[in-house]
Amino acid sequence: MCQWCMSHGAGKKWYMNARNYSDELAEESNMKDYLTEQWMNFEQVYIRKIMGFSSKDLGYKLKMPIIGRVLRWRAESMIHSQKKKRNPVRADGHFGQVIPLEDAQIIMSELAAEPIICNYCMCRWMQRRKKEAVCINFGVLSEVLEKLPRFIPKDRVVRIDRETAVEKLEEFNKKGYISSVWFQPIPYINAVCSCESPECGAFTLRNNFDINVMYKAEYIIQLDQDKCQGCKSCVAMCQLSAIRFIPSMDRVIIDYNKCYGCGVCRHACKNDALKLIPREEYPGFDGTY
Amino acid sequence: MSKAKKKKRTKIRIDYSICGEKGKIDPRNCGLCMRACDPAVFIMHETLGTEKQQKDIYDPQDWRITPIWGSLCSRCFKCVEVCPENAITITW
Ligand code: SF4
Ligand code: SF4
Ligand code: SF4
Ligand code: SF4
Ligand code: SF4
Repeated sequence: MCQWCMSHGAGKKWYMNARNYSDELAEESNMKDYLTEQWMNFEQVYIRKIMGFSSKDLGYKLKMPIIGRVLRWRAESMIHSQKKKRNPVRADGHFGQVIPLEDAQIIMSELAAEPIICNYCMCRWMQRRKKEAVCINFGVLSEVLEKLPRFIPKDRVVRIDRETAVEKLEEFNKKGYISSVWFQPIPYINAVCSCESPECGAFTLRNNFDINVMYKAEYIIQLDQDKCQGCKSCVAMCQLSAIRFIPSMDRVIIDYNKCYGCGVCRHACKNDALKLIPREEYPGFDGTY
Repeated sequence: MSKAKKKKRTKIRIDYSICGEKGKIDPRNCGLCMRACDPAVFIMHETLGTEKQQKDIYDPQDWRITPIWGSLCSRCFKCVEVCPENAITITW
């Protein structure tokens, strides 16, 4: 369990605590207004200047001696902000964590607040001009998003029931999309995303600039080297290029620096060689979210 | 081999008088550069500063593209090749 579980998990994982999904919590902190303000022009989030700097050419800016360090510190404290006076247009307190299909399905069947909607993914829209209805949002965020035509598919039902959400997640996961759950803002939870990389801005920020907008899962993948037949199917499933086939050994290897523990590769293996194990059971990985 | 030369900063520019809120192309109708770029360097967004003047604030109509992750550019020139209006230039 990470620091967010300690502070917002009530003894469980942060995203398993029912209170973080509740309408009462949303009302208490007037989430509807906050999220409306945030989502109206969300695509501007990387363009806006914060303390005189936007994210444009972030990779170069982070390399600048002093400014780079200040920028990194600012970005990290913004993303993880729990302050009362947060700024919606900077996406303060907005970050996510990768979760396996099983946890995503528990969220959708037991925890998510109604109404539940399935809308177009923001990242694929802004990075690829691709409208793909794979984002599952819920609680007051649903009503906010329904007002924004660019995220709402016109040719199909947007509001879905729990059962449909559970089925859709399975479909997305098997397609190779990674489930993630989002604080928006801390501690309110209202989204389960199905991401790809580099389309997803969160993966881009962490993998290239080491800014932690996306935590790794509470699990790690485990390869049973004896069971692996070297069929390579799993290699094509991994969005993070964490699996590689090694011809001389006729099996795959896992790069744990790249692996987020999403479990998506499991869907490809017909030999039962890939399993998810709780991260904390491995001393070497404990705390490496 | 001698020490690798330090890579210079890549400058990607889009001519907004061609593609953008005032140009003849609305990037929401094209987006070929965004699709062509493997590392996904480009971002399409509501033009900064015009969002409050939109007729319908929930449905903004002024859009442009910013090459946001310049340091990830591999200089493959795919975006330059696919742009039907030659609106993109890359220098370093
Ligand atoms: S976090 Fe993932 S699913 Fe959500 S908007 Fe971004 S890419 Fe799409
Ligand atoms: S190797 Fe890791 S990151 Fe890649 S699909 Fe498997 S669990 Fe996910
Ligand atoms: S899918 Fe399974 S058997 Fe095939 S290479 Fe991957 S781990 Fe090995
Ligand atoms: S040159 Fe290639 S990598 Fe660089 S922005 Fe254009 S398409 Fe992307
Ligand atoms: S390819 Fe050219 S015209 Fe099309 S969106 Fe990109 S910059 Fe604009």
